[in-house]
Amino acid sequence: MNYTLQYGQVLPYLGYFAGGALLSLQIAFLSFCGGLVIGTGFASVTAFGPRPLRVLVKVYVTAFTNTPQLVQIYFLYFALPDAGILLSSYQAVLIGMTLNAGAYLTEIQRAGFLSRRQTEMEAAEVLGFSRWQQIRYVILPHIAKVLFPPLANQYILMTLGTSMAAVFGVEELTGRAFNVNAETFRSVEIFSLVAVFYVVITFAATLALALIGRLAFRARMRIL
Amino acid sequence: MLKSAWVAAAGFLATALLAAPPSEARSLDAIIKSGSIRVGVNPTLPPLGTYDDKNEISGFDVEYAKEIADKLGVKLEVVSVGSPDRIPFVTSDRVDFVLGGMTRNSERAKVIDFTVPVYTEGLSVLQTGGTKPKSWNELNTPDTKLVEVRGTTPVSFIKETLPKAQLTLLDNYPDAVRALAQGRGNTIIDVVDYLGSYTKTYTGVEWQVTSMPVDVDYDCMGVAKGNSSLKDWLDIAAFELERSGKRGELWKKWFGLDMTYPIPLNPYF
Repeated sequence: MNYTLQYGQVLPYLGYFAGGALLSLQIAFLSFCGGLVIGTGFASVTAFGPRPLRVLVKVYVTAFTNTPQLVQIYFLYFALPDAGILLSSYQAVLIGMTLNAGAYLTEIQRAGFLSRRQTEMEAAEVLGFSRWQQIRYVILPHIAKVLFPPLANQYILMTLGTSMAAVFGVEELTGRAFNVNAETFRSVEIFSLVAVFYVVITFAATLALALIGRLAFRARMRIL
Repeated sequence: MLKSAWVAAAGFLATALLAAPPSEARSLDAIIKSGSIRVGVNPTLPPLGTYDDKNEISGFDVEYAKEIADKLGVKLEVVSVGSPDRIPFVTSDRVDFVLGGMTRNSERAKVIDFTVPVYTEGLSVLQTGGTKPKSWNELNTPDTKLVEVRGTTPVSFIKETLPKAQLTLLDNYPDAVRALAQGRGNTIIDVVDYLGSYTKTYTGVEWQVTSMPVDVDYDCMGVAKGNSSLKDWLDIAAFELERSGKRGELWKKWFGLDMTYPIPLNPYF
């Protein structure tokens, strides 16, 4: 009783899967951008801000990096309605992933901010750079180079993390895989195909990010 | 890090493509020899299956499976399965057979085999404060916001009969009923008998049940494709449990009443 692979039964769903992959990419991209805004702001606070604010940011980061993302979105999706806030599936996933990304990106960027060298700052001061010029010509190029690889990694992890949106009724790549699996029961074929989709979208992102990193920040990243 | 992620992805893919498929189902002899039978039960479908005070799965399905195991003279090993993954559990030989409201249909019968029916179920419409519909057509509008469970029989029924209705698919029954209670939808089409223990926890919600004539589904034991040594034996065991009244007795114990649509004892079903 050997299993026979039947990719023919799954091929008609290629377009459907591709649509799901696009939605996965969209969720990852939007929540990463949102997280980057939160992260940059909060990392500046931790590096340069007053103590009470630093404590608040610390609480936020600790809370979100020490609880599972799935539980966080569950809270947004199923607990908030009891408080009268009804987020749609897509909104709950997007907000949940953004808040989670914000916490991780705060940590990553804080490390980057702290890695700037005091001697470089002093040199800039002596050369008569204004505060803005210091940020533009000394701090940013330096931390961008340090930060780019871990940020790119976080983006890849988030792309893969979008798969949990399926639990909340968002029909992204994994959700669509579950749907087709429920209709055709060709699990091996479906999930191997979906794995290829994930490899393609993460690898495409890796390439793009490596290229941007190389050209814009002179950050060297190994691709293979 | 990026490199290792890439290598891991490639490795996973290679495993999926090359190594995964051939998992041989256990024959009747192999099960008897091993001394235990593994049965898939869905713990989110009370009273078929639910977690009891000791955090063990109990319910009609468990006791029915126990009867089967006793007839076979082996120990019962209950495996928790969900609606979307219960068939993969059979095909990948993680269970010997699966219960859990396993409706037989020709689509599923392409990948697994079914025994004779164990029980029946009929679909009804459960709504929150909706107008009681008189026909399926009345529900075929975007105003019908359905919340259903992935991998259950009503989903394909809905796609055919109610293409205009909005549909959200969640992973399990507790989530689906909670979503309805919180106003994420207004309708679920399913076997309402299974949902009672969830709807009664949301007392503030006005639940309305409408029965509409749809086919009665026959629920069987799902067995790996081609495992006839096990299936043939289960057919006879199921017949005996039905004929002796044991099945009816267990049903009454867990559901409180007789089965709505009895299985006629004719030579075929």
